[in-house]
Amino acid sequence: MQLSKRKKLEIIVEAPVLRGVEDFLAEAGVRGWTVLPSLAGSGDGGGWRSGHYTPGQEKRLIFALVTAEVAERVLERLADFFADYPGVVAVSDVEVMRGEKF
Amino acid sequence: MVDSLQMALTNLLTPAILFFLLGFAAGWFKSDLSVPEGAAKTLALVLMLSIGFKGGVEAARAGMSPDFLKAAGVGLILSFGIPVIAFAILRVISRLDRTTSAATAAHYGSVSIVTFVAGTEFLRVSGVPFGGYMVAVVALMETPAILSALILAGGGAAGRQGLRGDLFREVALNGSVVLLIGAFLVGMLSGEAGMSKMEVFVGPVFQGILVLFLLDMGLVAARRLSAARSLTVPLIAFAIFMPLLSSVLSLGLSLAMGLSPGNAAVLAILAASASYIAVPAAMRIALPDADPGVYLTLSLAVTFPFNLVFGIPLYTAAAAALLG
Repeated sequence: MQLSKRKKLEIIVEAPVLRGVEDFLAEAGVRGWTVLPSLAGSGDGGGWRSGHYTPGQEKRLIFALVTAEVAERVLERLADFFADYPGVVAVSDVEVMRGEKF
Repeated sequence: MVDSLQMALTNLLTPAILFFLLGFAAGWFKSDLSVPEGAAKTLALVLMLSIGFKGGVEAARAGMSPDFLKAAGVGLILSFGIPVIAFAILRVISRLDRTTSAATAAHYGSVSIVTFVAGTEFLRVSGVPFGGYMVAVVALMETPAILSALILAGGGAAGRQGLRGDLFREVALNGSVVLLIGAFLVGMLSGEAGMSKMEVFVGPVFQGILVLFLLDMGLVAARRLSAARSLTVPLIAFAIFMPLLSSVLSLGLSLAMGLSPGNAAVLAILAASASYIAVPAAMRIALPDADPGVYLTLSLAVTFPFNLVFGIPLYTAAAAALLG
């Protein structure tokens, strides 16, 4: 089995700014990503729970596989973004199948 | 005086208020009673659709009235102006930072559509006539407060990060407002013939939907209140005093403009109401540093219940006494 080394990006943002962050990804050359919903959480801004009426505070997880070069561009843009907005970014080294797609 | 007491009692003993109080009690005592989130959203859509459609049909029936332009003018002044007053008060009485004060002020300048729905139902039951076009005034009053708050906060993050488009979409194309105004236009275009097809849905069914929706609002308001950590006595006093002040300002402007008592009552209810859906979401984009634990708790868990139970009959009685 042929595996390729790539970077995995996991980005958590609040729902109202999701589209904006997706635009950053597209501009940085990310070819594909998946957005997942979330149920509840807690952090500096206190706790929140889906269904407990927290308009704007619900989180979204963006999952993307990219090359090291694209990851660098995304992180540069996000560093500036997270100076203003709450959220989380994690980058990890992974091996993926069909590496030519990412 | 007897009339206004009677009005307050009539309001307290409607199923809508009693079910709200039931929800509030259940939420406060941690009952597992809940309305599924998807269902609650559907109920909200039915409310927007019904109230918009009814307003449109009534506006078509009555024709264009000069009162509409006057009410719209008063509404715009209030939505721009109330945040400035609210901000000044918060800066004096509380230790909130500038950004959280501005964001909270935006909530009080903007409006709560559910308070409008409950208020107009109360006016209908009490036999106080008002213009169907007031639905359009609601939509006008949503946004200016956000602009005022951005100026008070000294700009926001959205412009810096190129998210103005997202902010605009969240505010101007907010689903509730699109459906409310869309249904208003449908009501105007289809008129009485349209009403004959929709009357069961927007009439008898509407009451049941409103009651179920308010039950859910009681649950979420109580849960929010019991989980609140950042509330202080001055902030709670603000959340009760501010709607009273806003309604007095609104009644004064309505008197000066010579509005009818019914329209003045609707405007006072709108001025007193605080947003807890559109503005909180917009504030997460515009002013992400502001603390939602303050602004959302105040508008949803203190001001909304206060207006629903005491404010609506009070503003209606005041409008009748002043302009009747």
